[in-house]
Amino acid sequence: MQQYDRPSIRSVLSPQPSDTIVNVSGFVKRYKKDVAVDGVDLEIRKGEIYGLIGPDGSGKSSLMKAIVGVLTYEGGSIDVFGTRVDSERAAEQIKPKIGFLPQGLGLNLYPELSVEENIDFFAHLRLVPDEDLAERKARLLAMTRLERFRDRPMKNLSGGMKQKLGLICALIHEPDLAVLDEPTTGVDPVSRRDFWSILAELLEEKGMTALISTAYMDEAERFHRLSFFSGGKVLASGVPAEIRALVPGSIVTCEAHPQLTAIARLKTRFRQVESLGSLLRVFIDTTDESEAQSQIEALLGDLIPSSFRVEEAGLEDVFVALRLQKSESKEVSDVIADSATVHDRDGLAIEAEGLIRDFGSFRAVDHVSFRVKQGEVFGLLGANGAGKTTLIKMLNGILSPTGGAGLVAGVDMRMATGSIKERIGYMSQAFSLYLDLTVEENIRLFAGIYGLDKRSMSQRFEWIVTMAGLSGYESSLTDSLPMGVRQRLALGCALVHSPRVLFLDEPTSGVDPIGRRHFWEILTRLAREGNVAILITTHYMSEAEHCDNLALMYAGRIVAEGSPEAMKRQVEEVGGRLVEVVVDQPRRALMHLLQAGFHGTALFGTTLHVFCRDPLRDKARACEGLEGRGVRVISVKERPLSLEDVFVYRVMALERAEPSTKQEAAA
Amino acid sequence: MNRNDGSSIEAVRLWVLRLFVMTRKELLQLGRDVPLLLFLLYSFSLSVYISGAGIAMQLNNASLLVHDGDHSESSRELIHRFHEPYFRFDGEVGDPKEGLTRLDQGTAMVLLDIPPRFRESIQGKEPVTVQLQVDTTNAPQGLSAAAYAARIVGGFSFDLALSRLGAALGDDMRMPVVDSAHRVWFNQDQDETWFQSISHILRMITLFAFLLPAAALVREKEHGTVEQLLVSPVTPLQIMLSKVLAMTLVILAATALATATVLKPVFGVPIKGSAPLFFLLTAFYSFTVAGLGLFAATVTKNQAQVGMVALLVISPMLLLSGITTPFEAMPPWVQTLMALSPLRYYIDITYGILLKGSGLELLWDSILAMVLLGGTLFGLGLWRFRRQFQ
Repeated sequence: MQQYDRPSIRSVLSPQPSDTIVNVSGFVKRYKKDVAVDGVDLEIRKGEIYGLIGPDGSGKSSLMKAIVGVLTYEGGSIDVFGTRVDSERAAEQIKPKIGFLPQGLGLNLYPELSVEENIDFFAHLRLVPDEDLAERKARLLAMTRLERFRDRPMKNLSGGMKQKLGLICALIHEPDLAVLDEPTTGVDPVSRRDFWSILAELLEEKGMTALISTAYMDEAERFHRLSFFSGGKVLASGVPAEIRALVPGSIVTCEAHPQLTAIARLKTRFRQVESLGSLLRVFIDTTDESEAQSQIEALLGDLIPSSFRVEEAGLEDVFVALRLQKSESKEVSDVIADSATVHDRDGLAIEAEGLIRDFGSFRAVDHVSFRVKQGEVFGLLGANGAGKTTLIKMLNGILSPTGGAGLVAGVDMRMATGSIKERIGYMSQAFSLYLDLTVEENIRLFAGIYGLDKRSMSQRFEWIVTMAGLSGYESSLTDSLPMGVRQRLALGCALVHSPRVLFLDEPTSGVDPIGRRHFWEILTRLAREGNVAILITTHYMSEAEHCDNLALMYAGRIVAEGSPEAMKRQVEEVGGRLVEVVVDQPRRALMHLLQAGFHGTALFGTTLHVFCRDPLRDKARACEGLEGRGVRVISVKERPLSLEDVFVYRVMALERAEPSTKQEAAA
Repeated sequence: MNRNDGSSIEAVRLWVLRLFVMTRKELLQLGRDVPLLLFLLYSFSLSVYISGAGIAMQLNNASLLVHDGDHSESSRELIHRFHEPYFRFDGEVGDPKEGLTRLDQGTAMVLLDIPPRFRESIQGKEPVTVQLQVDTTNAPQGLSAAAYAARIVGGFSFDLALSRLGAALGDDMRMPVVDSAHRVWFNQDQDETWFQSISHILRMITLFAFLLPAAALVREKEHGTVEQLLVSPVTPLQIMLSKVLAMTLVILAATALATATVLKPVFGVPIKGSAPLFFLLTAFYSFTVAGLGLFAATVTKNQAQVGMVALLVISPMLLLSGITTPFEAMPPWVQTLMALSPLRYYIDITYGILLKGSGLELLWDSILAMVLLGGTLFGLGLWRFRRQFQ
């Protein structure tokens, strides 16, 4: 069995309500005059995994830091293990029982030290006895499959591996309470899944309690209980089902042409309308299927919808709906001014021909070829370290390729002159505008660099402010902006000269769902109306659905390619139909299904996704087997593949095929 | 870089515009860095005053102890010749050992020991010795105390001999005497504050001209903003030049500030030569040092590393180029090595223009050396900058 699907996740037993570990009441945190957290109540019980969900800057980190005793606060009270955390001395008392993983990939680790040295350092800091350390270290390294990299300096690990190491270091002293601040932001889906199963197993085994924040809504399903944060307040708290019940509704997907007209019509009534490639996705506040269909049809009028489907709304939709309810009409302008330049539809925008890039003996990009047409949104997917960023840097001329050629608008970027560079826009992975300049100064700087004259500069400035919803922020320092606004500003600056080709490297990492949706609306319009070619990388599989075409990279190579539908079809052809199984003991069920030969079975939150060649026969076979082992099957239904299924299936299959991984699994 | 088939004037206009917006950006960013601005302000005003008024290399107020074994008219006369401002009489000790203890404790610097029968010996025409013990822990001060004391004792002995001879011959004009007549040039009052305050400004110019552009460039690397620039039509030359331009402007302004608020009004330093020439050459010098700073920024990864390299490069320059100690006093190999230090030439230029009133006709060789060095360093920095991203 591949080590990958380490069975785990949450215990089904609900925790004893009496044992309160953390009690927060009326918590207020101010930074000078800014109120970061404004009156939050929270109770975390022994043995539970408690989730904090919300956008960047909503106060999650402040609360977590106050709970672990490293941040003072202005109002309310925090009790941890029955100790009131209100002084340095009180904080020192509780610290031995707490493990803390701060936000940011590997920020708590020492880049120059090796994996083992990092672990030893944290263990010695926590006075872990040597014999315990040796035993725990061996076990944790095996579990996280970092054994092979024992002697590798931390800075040379991939993002996912850094986070696993961070987790080991935070938990090496076996604390009673683990506080993890966005441990999975910027980590690819497979590593994320891996991280969660390791975490869940550790927590369950040691009876730890955990407080975890995340920006990924799909992870919310893994929490026992959770709180939605927004603007320093809690929007809603409870078990996932309770929160879902707050905004009853369903998701309708359908196809209608022309798409932009359809979106405009639907928006007159519904606030959550998105386009996914050729599909439309609408959140409707009814759970009745026929009711939903008739509402949509009435709005669309003469545009007849096809491939109509109604699904249960996910937590992300609920969160967005909740936010929209509370925030009235503070929504950013969704009007894109007409002055957007329309480019020719003809010709290829990007051509990669056998691109290779070596760093020393390491081949980061290995014979990559693909083409992107004008007006196309092309998504590049892959785990951390698969070579996506290197590829983009070669295409826009920052890095020179070791072999092959990258053409943009027909020109080799190595030879790029000023006039070619004026045709491309680039948003790098890390935010790369000047934090000490204001929004306006940043825009004007780039407008000047691209040689815009006074009149077109003020025109473009207006356009960017409207398009990116920056009005009111013009003279704010970039440093003080929330993540979502910053990213839109970065997009604005990348578009200041109306480029024909746009490179976006993880533009939405760490941006909240509403910010991400708005961002994608802009991108879709740029591609559809302005014929801009867009090459984008992302770790959000829900975003990948927006792309016209996708390429999946693995170890520097492209291993699958096509439109989202084609990618799903390819996996269905190889793996079979997807069946979602809900059981009371997911971990046991997963073990059994893998043993029974259902390869590619994976855990999604608390449900199992099983690939079946013959759904009818296999469903019965799986259910019988599970019931025979005392696992109660709650529901079994076929469901359409998501891109996340595709990603996980593909990458897992490749990892299985790799000889080194095989050896590990055998060992 | 502009192969546009259109007008080359348009290309030049764009090139200049890009350089202009980049330079303005640097100035804006610097303007936002309030602590740095305050530090800059302090370095070119108050700190110049403090070094000018506070640093004294001349012997001043050296604490003098006397063990007078004779207590005669002659011994008192000798003691009185050790006067202020060079020496401060700190009392007599009964026993030379006590004086030595005070020297050990560091509460006295010079111990003058006059033997018994001092006057008797002088009058009896016997040679006599006085002992001077000097604490030379601080070598320059101790050595000059010893030298001054030797001069005083020598003078005392000369006067004694003269009076004796004069008494014998009746007319002292018959004695062959070589008198040293000083003509002090350029700093008639021999006011040390001029030298110290100017050399402090030179130190600050060197430090800031190195650090400001280096830190600005390395910060762009740290924050990844440099990639955004490289993807745009801005050339590496423009990126580097804009930093140098902006920082040179700032340094010129700071130098003007120091001249206008401290040098002239407080210390009364005359500006004998051409002020525009001085500022022009200061700009050249900043450019030169900035080239060195940018080179350092291309071989380092973060601001901390740049700080280290600055220490490594700047300290020997400051110590060995001739503002801390006399250049001529250094071993030949250090002098040869320091031919590579732009500060070496800038010192000649600055003192030449400010104090001596020299012009191009005297300073052209220093200027040429500095400009050549500057061009080379800047070129080297540009070459490294282009290379490191490939």
